[in-house]
Amino acid sequence: MNTNRLIGVGAFLIAVFVIVPLLIATSGRWDFYYTLTSVALLAIASAGVWLTFYIGRINIGQGAYALAGGYVSAILVTKAGFNFWVTLPLAGLFCAGLAVLIGLPILRLRGVYFAMVTLVLTEVGRLSALALPVTNGAKGITSIPLPGELSIFGLTLIPDFATLQNPKLAFYLAAVFLMVACYAALYRIVNSRLGHLCRSLQQNEELSASIGVNTAYLRVLTYSISSFFGGIAGAMFVAISQSIYPSSFQVADSVNFMLNCFLGGLGYVFGPMLGTLMLYFGWDLLFTTGRYQLLIYSSLLIILMLVLPNGVLSLFERKGGRK
Amino acid sequence: MEQIIANGLYLGAQYALIALGLTLIFSLMNVLNFAHGQMYVLGGFVTYTVVSQFGLPFIVGLLASAAILAAVGAAIEKFLFAPVIKKSKREESTMLLAAGIAFFLDAVILLVFGEKQRGVPKILNGVLNWDFRIIMPYDRILIGVLAIAMIAGFILFMQYTKAGRAMRALAQDRMAAELMGVDVKRYSMIGFALGAMLAGLVGGLLVTITGINLGMGGPTSIKAFMMIMIGGAGVISGAIAGGFILGMMESIGLTLLAAYGDITYLVIFASLMIFLAIRPQGLMGKPWG
Amino acid sequence: MTPILQVRGVTKRFGGLTANNDISFDVAEGEILSVIGPNGAGKSTLFKLIASFLKTTSGEVLFRGNRISNLAPHKVAQMGVVRTFQETTIFRSMTVRENIIVAHHLRSKASLLGFFLGTAQARADETEFGASADDIIEFLGMEAIRDELASNLPQGHLRALGMAIGLATNPTVLLLDEPFAGMNHDETMRMVSLVRRLRDERGVTVLLVEHDMPAVMKISDRIVVINFGEKIAEGTPAEIQSNEKVIEAYLGSEDAAIGM
Repeated sequence: MNTNRLIGVGAFLIAVFVIVPLLIATSGRWDFYYTLTSVALLAIASAGVWLTFYIGRINIGQGAYALAGGYVSAILVTKAGFNFWVTLPLAGLFCAGLAVLIGLPILRLRGVYFAMVTLVLTEVGRLSALALPVTNGAKGITSIPLPGELSIFGLTLIPDFATLQNPKLAFYLAAVFLMVACYAALYRIVNSRLGHLCRSLQQNEELSASIGVNTAYLRVLTYSISSFFGGIAGAMFVAISQSIYPSSFQVADSVNFMLNCFLGGLGYVFGPMLGTLMLYFGWDLLFTTGRYQLLIYSSLLIILMLVLPNGVLSLFERKGGRK
Repeated sequence: MEQIIANGLYLGAQYALIALGLTLIFSLMNVLNFAHGQMYVLGGFVTYTVVSQFGLPFIVGLLASAAILAAVGAAIEKFLFAPVIKKSKREESTMLLAAGIAFFLDAVILLVFGEKQRGVPKILNGVLNWDFRIIMPYDRILIGVLAIAMIAGFILFMQYTKAGRAMRALAQDRMAAELMGVDVKRYSMIGFALGAMLAGLVGGLLVTITGINLGMGGPTSIKAFMMIMIGGAGVISGAIAGGFILGMMESIGLTLLAAYGDITYLVIFASLMIFLAIRPQGLMGKPWG
Repeated sequence: MTPILQVRGVTKRFGGLTANNDISFDVAEGEILSVIGPNGAGKSTLFKLIASFLKTTSGEVLFRGNRISNLAPHKVAQMGVVRTFQETTIFRSMTVRENIIVAHHLRSKASLLGFFLGTAQARADETEFGASADDIIEFLGMEAIRDELASNLPQGHLRALGMAIGLATNPTVLLLDEPFAGMNHDETMRMVSLVRRLRDERGVTVLLVEHDMPAVMKISDRIVVINFGEKIAEGTPAEIQSNEKVIEAYLGSEDAAIGM
């Protein structure tokens, strides 16, 4: 890692952990915490979608995993009395396992076919949540307690959120920490051998197989990492809203995750984070337009596609070339 | 048993019609039209407006739905898809554009027609009761028959007219069709208009029975995707087969699985995954790769 | 010499069409063997069957006595039988060097997790791959285009890159898919000497499928001729040139260019 990059990462960390809380404290706009927390969590789910793009698959099914992760955490916390912080990785692992089962058949599909089947998956996720007894149908699971204390050998790592004066700040910090960890992992994946192999898969699966890459295994592995991200993002979301319904994550969310990645740029690890920030804030800013919000938002999307059909970051590509 | 089959046929005919439009657009331009369900909803609202607001006969409403949706489809192709396809490097771009259009149509429908569920008065009264083996209202039978007639009409159109033949050539091999002198631009537009028109027609048909509301767009698109995955994308016979198969499965599922709650689609999806694992190209699709 | 690769009664049918019918031959260790035949004779089907990119209808392919037909392609590559493609199959948005480095996959000793964590073994692997890639680049004389994006390369270089990717896997047997297709005389001659050096300097057994007759005659130790999906002759270039069945097959087809 060169110095420029270190400075960049340092500046980013200071900005999100110190400057943003300071700004919010001075301006008194506490509602921004919720917005930024959401952005951080959606960015994690989008990072997963981006990773599936990296093996050449268009994934419009992340909503299903976010929903599954959310329910796993909610059920474990309310019915089995688990500590939320334990359910967080469990939700991720559950989704990773689910992704292996679902991925084995569907990852053989390519292009539009894979995109279609993942989109259907999101809808099936919603329908399953409605139908299964354990998810409590349309009523969903509500009044989920706030995350409890996490301690190891009597040392408190994370305090009980219910005792905090300002759980909003705590959730913000937790979400951003999670996001930083996920993107660090993503960065390592992309820049290690796994990432190189993923790129080889994206560019030519047959050639990949001919150099001895177990393409089926690699696809499933990548897809399950991607779904892990979706699962923990969903679980964290549920902890914040303290409730989950079958409609908590639906087709529109899956499509938005895909849009985030595309808008931010598929060639850049931090693209999905940027895309999520832009789309979420764009949508929020349009809130003032009231009933015209969706109309303006979708018109902007369409115009963007007309002007920049290859994504926002293609602006830079023309000048600098790849990386 | 007869009841299940009759319900399946009735559902299947409409599904097949929706899938036909989607698969036509896909085969001509390699575009996955996410906005297909919204086009269907728009068609339903047009018929509703003509019949319930203006008090005109149902057939006028249906024709209005067809005409307006064809115009919308043609405009979307000419001003949005054609330029983006020309400029973009990846197939994802058209998918995103389609997603944008789906949101846009949702917004338009919301502003023009509102969020409420709308319907039109029954066009036929009475119920067919064949010995309690099949019980089906006459209006459903009429709509089912109309849908099947439209499918037949569409097949004849694709087989025997100049435009139909041109579009089939285009679907098979764009390059070759261009060399043979097919006006690719023109027929892409006609094909898109035709696909949108089919969606609008189904909307117009179904508004008489189930009514129509804003939220029906997305789920309809998803069902249409499932159908063309079952049948094989881009193949006309596949879309028809997919439509009828899904209709039949839904009909069977709703009867047999009713005791276990609403898990029909869960079961259908699970079977679809197993099916795709064995046959990724669908029943009649061409294998690729 | 013991055969390193044995093709045993390989048959492939597509629906009612028989593309390969009961084809058998052996490849000895360290030899250069060419499979030739008129267009549409079933050469490329046979090629894919040997590399296990297609499943045989019946018959089998053995590598050192172990069956490799109908295994997953990556397993065949792991065993040491590696195919190359014609020029368009490369990793387009990687540089030449990146292409070759990624193709070293089979040689990695560290696990994917090891690479993720950046363990000592992983770093050692990376260093080794880099050095080996440079070695291959030098061997093929590609120094000038080392950091060029593969999508920017002209055809001739792409062919060399395809071979470099194959070499990076450290193959025992290299299967070359029409290595001379579309090349002019000079390019062909350079490729001929390159394939020879592969065998002489790196000990790689080469099986190639080709229809450029002069090149094949020059390069091959032995030749197998197929026509209409059947083997019609097998022997040294001299024997093949005087084989009546072969002459007949080629005279009866469009590319009647037999001989030197």
